[in-house]
Amino acid sequence: MKTKLFQWRWLLTVGLFISAPTLQADENGLYSPPHAEPEKQVSASQACVKPVPEMRREHMNLILHQRNQTMHHGVRTTDNSLQGCVNCHVTQDDAGEPIDFTNEKHFCNSCHQYAAVTIDCFQCHNSKPTEPVVKGGNQ
Amino acid sequence: MSFLTGFFAVFFYVATFIFIAFTGYKIVQYVRTPAPLKIPAMPAPLTQGGVVVRLIKEVVLFYSLFRSNKWIWLFGWVFHFSLFLVLLRHFRYFLDLSNPIWFWVPLIQPFGKYASFTMIIGLTGLLIRRIYVERHKYISSPSDYLHLILLLFIAFSGCMMTFVVHTDIVQLKAFIQGAITFGLTSTGWQPIPASPILFLHLTAVFLLMIVFPFSKLLHAPGVFFSPTRNQVDNAREKRHIAPWAAKLDATRQP
Repeated sequence: MKTKLFQWRWLLTVGLFISAPTLQADENGLYSPPHAEPEKQVSASQACVKPVPEMRREHMNLILHQRNQTMHHGVRTTDNSLQGCVNCHVTQDDAGEPIDFTNEKHFCNSCHQYAAVTIDCFQCHNSKPTEPVVKGGNQ
Repeated sequence: MSFLTGFFAVFFYVATFIFIAFTGYKIVQYVRTPAPLKIPAMPAPLTQGGVVVRLIKEVVLFYSLFRSNKWIWLFGWVFHFSLFLVLLRHFRYFLDLSNPIWFWVPLIQPFGKYASFTMIIGLTGLLIRRIYVERHKYISSPSDYLHLILLLFIAFSGCMMTFVVHTDIVQLKAFIQGAITFGLTSTGWQPIPASPILFLHLTAVFLLMIVFPFSKLLHAPGVFFSPTRNQVDNAREKRHIAPWAAKLDATRQP
């Protein structure tokens, strides 16, 4: 019985390292649930306003900071505006209509639903782009 | 990164195996332990249904602790209930949330979030009790402190990740989904997010799972097997006889 358990554990370890290279991830080595890809980049060399791994962890703080700056201090910049996020990231469905945040393919919603994090931004704010969606990007 | 992913996956498997196998073994041992005497602590329920109510009261409200010491009950109960809420919050990493029956998982997130503070308050109270109450200090062993400190560390590191230094939780869920399905989900194995505080949090949790079956943390399953709490007060109506004693009884010479 003891030897059998021992062999199982080895099998497991070996299996782990064999299956490890079969990772599915983006160019940063990170996983995202299925979603509609943004069709623009913030600049030719950069996908978003901050590097993607940082955005994945800190986007909520950037948005809240922007809100405090705008609402409480009256400093009205557009560096990290929510509408800016939406304009780049939210794309259209097959019918050519922009998808809204209740759609599971919506850029924000796909991850938020996956991780059980409620978004309350869009109870007031617009979840659809205000600029026309550009196919092919505007680099 | 690949090394850490493999390391934490194997650590997770070993900890889970030890936790389930040895806790299961202890439970089997508790089931088999004879209770030869009728010793319900009075006042005791007169029916089996009454015993169920009594155990629920004991497990959910810590009723006997409440009656014996109010301030220890306060810290103990606050800690345990917070831990329960925090554990519910962690369900989101293990479940496929596109399934509609798990609708309540997003709803309880904020409760679990703030329960991390009450968890720290409860644990700190229990730790202070062990250090400053002379008669409790006298009977406290190193393992008592170890559990409290491990749990405090888990609560503190978890709190830090929620409120101060965020971890990429989408990546973490992808890693856990890969690990719990042995890489057989459609997304396969995914690397663990590079976050030192997450590594400390997971290490502390796995250590707690490993010490669980060998420590007083077994009070969790053990509370159900306490003869003074789970027996019906019917000694007059029905003769209490343990199975092994029944065998002797049947073969007894008059």
